[in-house]
Amino acid sequence: MSNPSVPIQSDSAAHSGVKALKCRECGRRYELLAIHVCEFCFGPLEVEYDYDVIGRKISRQSIEAGPVSLWRYKDLLPVLGEPTAGLHAGMTPLVRAERLGKALGLKNLYVKNDTVNHPTLSFKDRVVAVATTRALELGFTTIACASTGNLANSVSAHAASCGMECFVFIPHDLEAGKVLGNLIYKPTVVSVKGTYDDVNRLCSEIGAEYPWAFVNINIRPYYAEGSKSLAFETAEQLGWRVPDQVVVPIASGSLLTKIWKGFHEFTRLGLVDENPLLKVNGAQASGCSPVYQAYVSGKNHIVPVRPNTIAKSLAIGNPADGFYALDVVGKSGGQVEQATDPEIIDGMKLLAETEGIFAETAGGVTVACLKKLAQKGSIRPDELTVAYITGNGLKTMEALAGSLSQPVSIDPNLSSFRQIVNPKS
Amino acid sequence: MAHLRIHLTFPEDRVRDPIIYEISKNFQVVPNIRRADVSDKTGWMELELVGDLSEIELTIDWLRKKGVHVDPLEKSILEG
Repeated sequence: MSNPSVPIQSDSAAHSGVKALKCRECGRRYELLAIHVCEFCFGPLEVEYDYDVIGRKISRQSIEAGPVSLWRYKDLLPVLGEPTAGLHAGMTPLVRAERLGKALGLKNLYVKNDTVNHPTLSFKDRVVAVATTRALELGFTTIACASTGNLANSVSAHAASCGMECFVFIPHDLEAGKVLGNLIYKPTVVSVKGTYDDVNRLCSEIGAEYPWAFVNINIRPYYAEGSKSLAFETAEQLGWRVPDQVVVPIASGSLLTKIWKGFHEFTRLGLVDENPLLKVNGAQASGCSPVYQAYVSGKNHIVPVRPNTIAKSLAIGNPADGFYALDVVGKSGGQVEQATDPEIIDGMKLLAETEGIFAETAGGVTVACLKKLAQKGSIRPDELTVAYITGNGLKTMEALAGSLSQPVSIDPNLSSFRQIVNPKS
Repeated sequence: MAHLRIHLTFPEDRVRDPIIYEISKNFQVVPNIRRADVSDKTGWMELELVGDLSEIELTIDWLRKKGVHVDPLEKSILEG
């Protein structure tokens, strides 16, 4: 391989508008390879685009004529050819949430409903669709991840659909139900005896050692870009508008930063008018809130925590993009909120009871934090607000044990029904 | 010779300790700092340790016992 820090651009890269990988800290550029760290300063690498090239190709009309999936925004995603994986991911409903809005005192509220994403019912299908397509472009035949839930499901399903070898690393004490959800796709599931820290370190070492596409290690710069599609779809589904407020759950912090980036790319390309009011708000579970803690202390240092929350999909103790998420919140004038486990359950119930959307615990975090932001007036009633619901409630049923009402039990006759149920009409 | 890239986070009671000096003095590894930000209350550092794998393992165990949080450069890889 030639020196990866030399910015070599292939013909297909130049044609696609994907320029290079660029260090977020020192700005050094690298070839579009399976690398994620700047060799000079160890800063994270991010995909850089040529917006002049993209601007000549993309328009509202070209997008609207594209497939009903996130691939309608292909010009702004880091793939050089045609998509080959996750062809049905994205374009999930943007729901006008009138009943939830009424409960929270918000008149202009929408819910971006990724509980119905394809194929595995979470927003991870977006990032994995992009990561898998790019991994295939780079010639990989094996794909891998370390995950306790949604990411493992999505990587396993995409690998199966593309005929790739798949390795999923999980902590040894993961609940049996979550393991089954992976095994159905027949990946190699590796249960690691050790702490979460041990799993992290082992995966980092394996990522450096084996010629695999490890989606959130060496493929991370491409993988993360898939999250921008949530912003693109939101703007398009709002009638080519950027909202005033968004509420985004924070795990690694990448999702929040990419939603911000997505709105800015659309604005830069003239696809939407700039909305200087846009505020990006973050939502964390109090049992794992390193970004919230840094936000309230006024510091930009993320202090790692040991997660202890029912919101397992947000339980990232030392978030890779925590610093950058804080930066976006600060630049946009947004806030970070947190929710306790009981508040998370209440948030899940409120969303289900008002909008008929069954979200996983992360959705409960988003709704609970949205409620707090509305109650304290940080989100005003008339502001165009979008809450991001990132995963399906069927994945975290155990969190609801004991918190829902029991079925009404009756004898099989009408008098028992009248006596016990006694409906009003 | 093994190379390991790590992210260290220092708690308040360790911020003033000469950690890198102690690593060099006590272990046969070469610490190569690439990025760092240290304040009076906390701090982090990204560095590469170069040496025999067994010696690197001993260094990491020692750091953890001192209360320094040790992660791979990628920080938390295990996602939901």
